[in-house]
Amino acid sequence: MFKVKFLAAVSLSCTVIIVVSIFVFSTNKQGDTQLVEFTTPFVFGRFQIPKDNPLTVESVKLGRRLFYDPILSKNNKVACANCHKQSLAFTDGLALSVGVSGKPLSFNSMSLVNLMWGPKHFFWDGRANSLENQALQPIEHVDEMGSNLDDLTEELSEIKAYQTLFEQAYGELNAVSIAKALANFQRTLISSNSPYDQFLRGEISLSPQEEFGRKLFMAHPDTKVSLRGGNCIDCHSQFLTSGFSSFFDGFSNNGLDDDENLAEGLFGVTKLEAHRGLFKAPTLRNIAVTAPYMHDGRFKTLEEVLAHYNSGIKRSKTLSPLIIEADNLADSQSQHISLNLAPHEVVAIISFLHTLTDESFLTNKAFSDPFKTGEPND
Amino acid sequence: MNKVTLILLVGTILIQLGCTDVKESTSATSTVSPIDTEKNIEESQAIVLLSGLPTLGTKDSIAIIEMDPESANFGNILYDYPLPKFDAPLHHLYYSPNGRLYATGLGSECSLAEIDLVRNAQAEPVITKVECLDTQGQSVGEDIMWHSVNGKLHMFVTFMGGTDLSQVDAGSVGVFDPQTNKVLKIIEARKSQVGEGKPYIMYPHGISAYEDRMVVTSTVHPNLADGIGNVVTVIDLNSFEPIENIVTEDAKPVGFPSSPVEVLFVRPSIVEGVEPAVLVNTMFGFETWKIPYDAKSKVFAEPEKLYDGATAGTGVPLEFYGNDTELFISHAIPGLVKRYDLKSLPDLVPSGEDIKTELGAHHMIFYSSASGRKLIAVQNNLLNLGDAKDNDPTDVDFIAKVNDHSLTVHDLTTGERLGMINFKDKYQKGIDNIEALFGSGFTHHH
Repeated sequence: MFKVKFLAAVSLSCTVIIVVSIFVFSTNKQGDTQLVEFTTPFVFGRFQIPKDNPLTVESVKLGRRLFYDPILSKNNKVACANCHKQSLAFTDGLALSVGVSGKPLSFNSMSLVNLMWGPKHFFWDGRANSLENQALQPIEHVDEMGSNLDDLTEELSEIKAYQTLFEQAYGELNAVSIAKALANFQRTLISSNSPYDQFLRGEISLSPQEEFGRKLFMAHPDTKVSLRGGNCIDCHSQFLTSGFSSFFDGFSNNGLDDDENLAEGLFGVTKLEAHRGLFKAPTLRNIAVTAPYMHDGRFKTLEEVLAHYNSGIKRSKTLSPLIIEADNLADSQSQHISLNLAPHEVVAIISFLHTLTDESFLTNKAFSDPFKTGEPND
Repeated sequence: MNKVTLILLVGTILIQLGCTDVKESTSATSTVSPIDTEKNIEESQAIVLLSGLPTLGTKDSIAIIEMDPESANFGNILYDYPLPKFDAPLHHLYYSPNGRLYATGLGSECSLAEIDLVRNAQAEPVITKVECLDTQGQSVGEDIMWHSVNGKLHMFVTFMGGTDLSQVDAGSVGVFDPQTNKVLKIIEARKSQVGEGKPYIMYPHGISAYEDRMVVTSTVHPNLADGIGNVVTVIDLNSFEPIENIVTEDAKPVGFPSSPVEVLFVRPSIVEGVEPAVLVNTMFGFETWKIPYDAKSKVFAEPEKLYDGATAGTGVPLEFYGNDTELFISHAIPGLVKRYDLKSLPDLVPSGEDIKTELGAHHMIFYSSASGRKLIAVQNNLLNLGDAKDNDPTDVDFIAKVNDHSLTVHDLTTGERLGMINFKDKYQKGIDNIEALFGSGFTHHH
């Protein structure tokens, strides 16, 4: 075996055990029902769940209900699910989401999937350092949901179903338990049964075009050894297809703007100039259903995304060096940064990206709107 | 060949070599960085194949162990998956390029297996199944290599027992579909059947490839009695047929054929701009050979001996492992790992002092401690052969003193020994193979 590096998270997925969270429940001594069994692909790597917020059945059930309940918003019309629709891999199809104020928000809605892996900072600019921290920010944001947490807590406490659910999950109803519940529901949003996953488990083979695209995806171009590559893996890891998890390694300036127009990005959080214009490298899981793309939704299609990487890169002082040096043409004299992929290579990469669509994830009833499925409240 | 004669002769000489002095490594100070609080704790864990020892009442298993000497859990088994009773133990672990875990096995009941490894809700790695694969009768699996042939990935497995272990010239290379694990072809060319002077495959063990040329070694009959090889076989991957035998043998320090064991096709993807060549370790020749290769004409040149263990005081060279800067070769006798400058390959230019391990130095992994110290762990066990004084039926002194049953952990920079785990003492088991839990940690195995 040669040059098989599994650095961040390696190993194996199973051939039989599948996939998306198989939950089995049992009762512990305290009477709480714990999630004691689900499996994920080993190749996804280790994950951590906060010790003060174990993944219990009760917390996930509560979190799911809260996620779909517009009561979380000031006008009781906007739920988390408004901007995070399951059928769109928990995005909303808009370039910029719209909340209670009716104004376009600053960012494109991020897909919520496999959040236990990848960068440990959330939102496009990394401004939340945990899912719990992330959960309350949209609720309080004046343009998103516009709620006051004290008012929301009081409102929820007047509803019998929530009294019961919070009591069962956390023993108390407050902002902290709201955040914990939402975080835990999001932790269960695991996608691991796409055709790519099935390929990794050896259950299927990819088409020649998909396989060609996969190889390009996984390769950093190296003209010295005639290796052509799409350079995708430099920012999107092999199995999760997300950004890397260490520190801020999962954030990158991918050449969307020149210095004059460079957005703050991660700089807004760290105040480090080296982080100006860096945004989170998102997971590419279900990417075919999460258009439009980039932090500001500027690209409508995957073709536009590939065109950007192939010929639309703009120089700036924090542009990723991995992008600068990635060129499939040897001795290119052009100052213009380009991957120089051939059209059929672009098509192949897009074909591979479509293998990341996990239909079972998009239709999993465990992730769906409990108000529509008529499930009991308690 | 008389088995007893072979056993005694080799045993005697190995013991003698084992007494040969080896220079002490000088102690240097290594750089230790502050503890990385975001470090993945699994980076210092390893997955090992453990063999039950018949006289100690233990059974075979696959275990995950903590390998960081700085950890309170150092040497502890974190997870243990009992294996069914097969006619011989599982032997080598390999991760495929897609992260699937495989094992070869030394018997015929399970000579190749896929191991289903997943994570449970506590994020712990757990094995859910070990599936023995249909090899169409090929037995005694050794090495696995994934290599593309005309743009299509294949899984190649060397089977020292071939399709008929009873034959004195047994051996085959199985070609598998890496997705389905189905046999695509069995490459078998027994010496007795191919005709005088024609290329053959016999007891294949080591395997490596570059472009459309694959090399496998001819080591020893699995019963350790019926025969020993002395050639490297070249296979044309366009036809999947053997096309050449190259003898790598010289002094015969123990009087037997050289028994080429592991092999590494040094190629540009390992060392940029290198002129390709094959490196070969000979188990009973105690030597390391270089076979230059002209990729344009596809001609292998005369082999050249690069290292002579008989004069240098080492015996039974086994594995090639590497990282970004160095190549490491394990020598079971007296138990050490030699290190060479990667950029100088295919020539062997020492890059540092030998790492002193224990008798049986064999497989190795590379990783770092919690404090960031770069480490190497070495398996000191050639095979899990018992001791006659324990009335152990697996005792064959042919492998005398090369079954320390231990792992030693060393500072990669200085070679300083930082810890040791003796599996026989601690768990009443032997160790067959070690692999970093995250795979590789090394880059150049084949």
